[in-house]
Amino acid sequence: MRNLIIGAALSAISTGVSAQDFSEGSEAKTWNLYAKVPATFEATVVGFLCELTGECAADCGSGRHQLGLKRIVDDVIVQAMKNNQPAFSGAATDLAPNCNQVVQVDGLMIKDEDFPVNNIYLVQTIQPVGGEKAKANQFTRKWAERHPDAAGKGLWFRRDPRINEITSRRISGSGT
Amino acid sequence: MRNQIAMLAAVIMVTLAGPAPASEGTRIQVTGEIIDTWCYYSGVMGGPNAVVGSAHHTCALWCSAGGIPVGLLTEDGTVYMILKIAQDTNSAGGDTQLSLAAHTVTADGMLYERDGQNYIIVNEVVADLGIQNTTHEDYGTVPPFSFPEPE
Repeated sequence: MRNLIIGAALSAISTGVSAQDFSEGSEAKTWNLYAKVPATFEATVVGFLCELTGECAADCGSGRHQLGLKRIVDDVIVQAMKNNQPAFSGAATDLAPNCNQVVQVDGLMIKDEDFPVNNIYLVQTIQPVGGEKAKANQFTRKWAERHPDAAGKGLWFRRDPRINEITSRRISGSGT
Repeated sequence: MRNQIAMLAAVIMVTLAGPAPASEGTRIQVTGEIIDTWCYYSGVMGGPNAVVGSAHHTCALWCSAGGIPVGLLTEDGTVYMILKIAQDTNSAGGDTQLSLAAHTVTADGMLYERDGQNYIIVNEVVADLGIQNTTHEDYGTVPPFSFPEPE
């Protein structure tokens, strides 16, 4: 019975939306990037480790595991690679609070005919069911919380202790 | 209203469906470079040949520490998204992957394929050859502001 209900729900939702244009309704900023198209869709926030191997963290890894967006209409897992900050920052920190929840996301999908890749996504906004839409820009705040010792002026990646340790070894010639 | 109904249906579906069953992986051993996947796929910093190796090492560190997925790029152009290295499950900003940025490694692990992408659980880094791809000779630093760091 459960399978019948699930099947009926899937069928009902996918009918007429299998060729859905995910750009419809998107308010994503293009950032003037080449081969990026606006895309908004409903998805469940999932951990890749959990989905693929069954190794599931209770909180999707609290922003330390890579997370995907399992699209409701077709079950495809979209890779949420980048958040909304122009700061070399991924999307796991922004998505983790919505672990295993359904959200509406808006952002940019890579669509490059010269260099075809599948389901690579930049998340700009996240809206949980019944919740407020929020910009996906939490990485730098979380980074600052984790690195009170690196407080100061300038961009986070210039102050990150782990990065500086590696680059200093490289500069001194003792590293790679 | 239509959106609310669709969202409600989505919630019901997720509740009924529960977690998806894990798939079977395939054991593989692959050699390639640990890359920053966003720069590689998006082209925001230049073409694919410019955003690998020594030219892009600093940017690869920034992106890895920033939680952008890292991948293993093999000579034939295949990219394996790395989800775990040995016991380190921190694939978003973890220490192990950060220490391997731009390195050429041989990895032994389990391959999973899903929706056109390859994912790898690295059981063991069999060999770490350091940075072998000396792209700075052709490209300088990518992006140009990544090195040296301004005073």
